Amino acid sequence: MSVKIKIPAYMRSSTDNLEAVEVSGKTVGECLGHLGRRFPGMKKRLFARSGDLFDNIIISINGESAYPEPMAKPVREGDELGIMMVIGGG
Amino acid sequence: MGVISVLSKGELERYDRQIRIPGFGRAGQEKLKRARVVIAGGGGLGSPAALYLAAAGVGRIRIVDHGRVELSNLNRQVLYWAEDIGRSKVDSAAGKLSRLNPEITIEAVDETITGANAARLVSGFDLIVDAMDNLPARYLLNQAAIEANIPFFHGAVYGFEGRVMTVIPGRTACLECVYHGATLAGEKFPVVGVAPAVVGCIQAAEVIKYIVGVGELLTDRLLIYDGLSLKFSELKVKKDPECKHCRHLIKGNRE
Repeated sequence: MSVKIKIPAYMRSSTDNLEAVEVSGKTVGECLGHLGRRFPGMKKRLFARSGDLFDNIIISINGESAYPEPMAKPVREGDELGIMMVIGGG
Repeated sequence: MGVISVLSKGELERYDRQIRIPGFGRAGQEKLKRARVVIAGGGGLGSPAALYLAAAGVGRIRIVDHGRVELSNLNRQVLYWAEDIGRSKVDSAAGKLSRLNPEITIEAVDETITGANAARLVSGFDLIVDAMDNLPARYLLNQAAIEANIPFFHGAVYGFEGRVMTVIPGRTACLECVYHGATLAGEKFPVVGVAPAVVGCIQAAEVIKYIVGVGELLTDRLLIYDGLSLKFSELKVKKDPECKHCRHLIKGNRE
């Protein structure tokens, strides 16, 4: 499955300034794993050493939150994944 | 028999341009005058939110913050000026807002919001503007809004980024439904003043729309403002039937 992952502007220093990256995988976890292998900087931004997705990262599939169990969610050809960091500043 | 307006001649003149908006009218202005709003946090988000809600004629504004004005606040907290450094933020804010609009009541509450006082601080008010600078306080206020059954207007910033969402307890997803207790490192967050200016104004717009009863609210969707690419996008969210804060209000979960 070819899936597009949109990269937020503040993370693009880890993706050679790419706004979106095409990856392959059958689940969100496989797609993010592919992204992390291609861009190790993104792996550090998204995953803890344990391999778990950080709890302050929200993944969306076609604009909808992938919660709960986001990594296990299946994806289809042409889906678009979004990455959003939880922020709390004011 | 004609209806006697509660608005004075001066108020009708002050608010003339917004009263002209279709669907707003004198009735909308009177609703604003009767409204009681808590602004939790008098910083980067609280400054524009308070300025525009005061300018729009919200009748009673309680602003809660325990800080004193510091030089490093002035890049974004536009309610405070160089002459205010060292002063209580809420006293300084109340002074400015009263000079902007002497027709409304501003209440300065110099307290840190905690689990012990959150319910008291919002009691008797119609809604909460979440203008805090940390997630734990935001979760406390989200819970206080749900317990008081009053809307919660969330906003947050980081760098050039922003997030905004409106919560109507029991009817729409709450902050906990979206963030599930996510935590952040307690470091100083980077921010440029234009980010909270955008986000705080959107929060104020949502509050005005809610009170007046016009337009569509930013519910069940988290607005994502990416100031670096100057793009807005939305994350569609749903009420979480397992939500620690609002599951008891969700239809089907009620006893």
